[in-house]
Amino acid sequence: MGKLNFIGRMSTIVCLSAGITVGGHVAANAEDIVIWGGFPELQGYYERVAESMKSTHPDLNVIVEPIGLRDHEKRVALALSSGLDETTVFELIGSTANRYIVNDLLPSAPANVAGFVNNAANFEPFFQEVAAVDGKVYGVPIFRGQGALFYNTDMFAAAGLDGPPKTMAEYTEYAKKLTQRDASGNPTVSGWSLRLSGGGGGIAEKFWINLHQFGGSLLEKAGDGYKASYANDAGLAALRQYVEAVSGDKTVTVEMPADAAAFQREQTAMFIRESWVIGDTAKKAPNLNYKTALLPRGSIALPVNLYVAGGSEKAQKAAWEFAIEANKPEHLIWMLDNVGWLPNRSGVDYSSVTTAKPQFSAFVDLPDDYAFFTLPSIEPINEILTRFAAKLTEAYADSSLVGNDAAMMAVLEESAAETNKILDRAGILGK
Amino acid sequence: MSSALVAAPNSNLEGKDKVSRKKRFWFAIIAILPTFAIFGWVRMFPIAETLRLSLFEWNLLSRNKPFVGLENFRELFQDDQFLDAIINTAAIAFGAMAVTIPVSMVLAAVIYHRTRSRFAGFYETAVFIPHVVSLVPAAMAWKWVFDAKLGPLNRLIVAFGGEAQPWLFDPVLSVICIILLVSWQTLGYGVLIYLVGFRNLPKSVYEAARLDGANGVQSFFFMSVPLLKPITLYVSVVTLISGFNVYAQAFILASDTQGAPGRLVRVLVLDMLENSFQNFRVGYAAAEAVILLVIVLVLTGVQFGLLRQRGRK
Repeated sequence: MGKLNFIGRMSTIVCLSAGITVGGHVAANAEDIVIWGGFPELQGYYERVAESMKSTHPDLNVIVEPIGLRDHEKRVALALSSGLDETTVFELIGSTANRYIVNDLLPSAPANVAGFVNNAANFEPFFQEVAAVDGKVYGVPIFRGQGALFYNTDMFAAAGLDGPPKTMAEYTEYAKKLTQRDASGNPTVSGWSLRLSGGGGGIAEKFWINLHQFGGSLLEKAGDGYKASYANDAGLAALRQYVEAVSGDKTVTVEMPADAAAFQREQTAMFIRESWVIGDTAKKAPNLNYKTALLPRGSIALPVNLYVAGGSEKAQKAAWEFAIEANKPEHLIWMLDNVGWLPNRSGVDYSSVTTAKPQFSAFVDLPDDYAFFTLPSIEPINEILTRFAAKLTEAYADSSLVGNDAAMMAVLEESAAETNKILDRAGILGK
Repeated sequence: MSSALVAAPNSNLEGKDKVSRKKRFWFAIIAILPTFAIFGWVRMFPIAETLRLSLFEWNLLSRNKPFVGLENFRELFQDDQFLDAIINTAAIAFGAMAVTIPVSMVLAAVIYHRTRSRFAGFYETAVFIPHVVSLVPAAMAWKWVFDAKLGPLNRLIVAFGGEAQPWLFDPVLSVICIILLVSWQTLGYGVLIYLVGFRNLPKSVYEAARLDGANGVQSFFFMSVPLLKPITLYVSVVTLISGFNVYAQAFILASDTQGAPGRLVRVLVLDMLENSFQNFRVGYAAAEAVILLVIVLVLTGVQFGLLRQRGRK
């Protein structure tokens, strides 16, 4: 009897285990794909794309999981280096993706996807190059980060300014006129909001945008490698402008509210940022009177692509189809209108949005000589930016640097030596 | 009766006892083995692996991970960011300890001597809540408290005629903010341990002191403080070690989705995470972890040393 009971119990356990295994197998066969993004504001966009695929892929289950960019980059590094069970579509800046591609952690795109990307009618060569390594396509271009000046027209009018600044010298002059102060002379509204604090490489990236206006660059190609190129007149001019704004003219202070949030609350008169601010401002400060303007020389352009890795072949196929679906004109126009990121696809008529929202003009109506730069696709780029940012943060807050070009140059030279050391360690220091 | 006949039952008993002891020994070994196995797997193996990784140029993405000996350690001691992180972390750990020990001891004394109050439970709970509350929302709330423009702390200072301070931006004040946040969180634990200590102190000694004319303050300083020395040592080491592991507080006080969130106070764990998962230098970060381990081991050793000294006395 006891033996029969034991056999009965064992049979139940075996059946349950088999049921769970079969169930798991069925679940694994479903077309589940996960979308990992570093821009939470795009959640609605990806959900919309997923919804539109329902008719052709009724079994497709799309899980959209966006988080902040820095944390997203960390989870991608961990996931790709330790292996993925689920098919995942990654949103990655081209320069970031390169390090995974050269280490064979991201698969290349199938032929039909490569054909879509390489079609000159779909994307300009710049975006095609960023989506490929050694001529092989790995990602599908989706949108880009590109900077422009945002300025509060009411504040400009109150300060007697009838248009945006056109040179970097004018940026400083305008900032002085636009800064609002209390009775003690302390600034209450910054004339020009600058990125002065926080973690990550954003501080260095924003410095690079200003440096670009002075004709400089953080890194330059040297032979087969790169070397630091900011310990020079352009670098000094950019750093001097920051230091004088913070500690000299006090048109902005480290602790003042900054960035888009400050602009939307009218706590700053102008700042440089990407086009997403337009979509964000439409939601958060719809009555704000503002315009955008081109930067004096040109802008950063950070193309973001979609990559696919992990899971079954079938799910990967669906994931690549998702990346192509995401590039359909109706979705891209929706993204531009509702989120504000600039789609990379050519041949799409965005005029319905750009006409209704003239602030987009500084992002799309560009003169021929408008010079773009992008982050180089090198492995230690984050480390270079983060370490330089730490040095810049100290320099911005150091009032003893005001009027002391030699001390400022010493800061730049010390940082450049550190940058070159990182490049050397990575084996890519140019001669 | 021969001696052999007398000895026989004894040797039988001894033999049985030996077998029984052997069984007990093996039972104990088998019983403790799973715990040892889990401890070895989740504690000892990662430590050994970290020690191993620290000797390699172990890049998260690269296939080539060469042995570099002590090169990571040599580089660390020339790395400004690491040295900055060590100084900040030590300042936070010792600062939090300096705040936590006296404040928690005084609070525990007040709560212990007011246990007849009907609010005693409330006091204990109120002090302990910060220790169990989730760190992220707590740090967010403190971020608002320290906000230079909108924060209540600056409003209070200004209301009393002082000058508003850039709490999260000044190099020194930003470290103080983290010390306050860490102390606020560890205080509850310190109070709880001190309360246990107070409850175990011999009442007769206090009665004798009272008869000799000692008042409450004198009893506290000349009796409670020395008698609670083992508790103080324990709380100090726990606070110090948790202080050396500080990370989330520094990260949250300096992070924001936009703009000018605050000055990033570089601490050891944050530097490790950045080197591992942003710069992919896992070997280098492992070397940092080894140094943190050595610091914690030395501090623990100091605690044991002090406790032994006290035991001998």
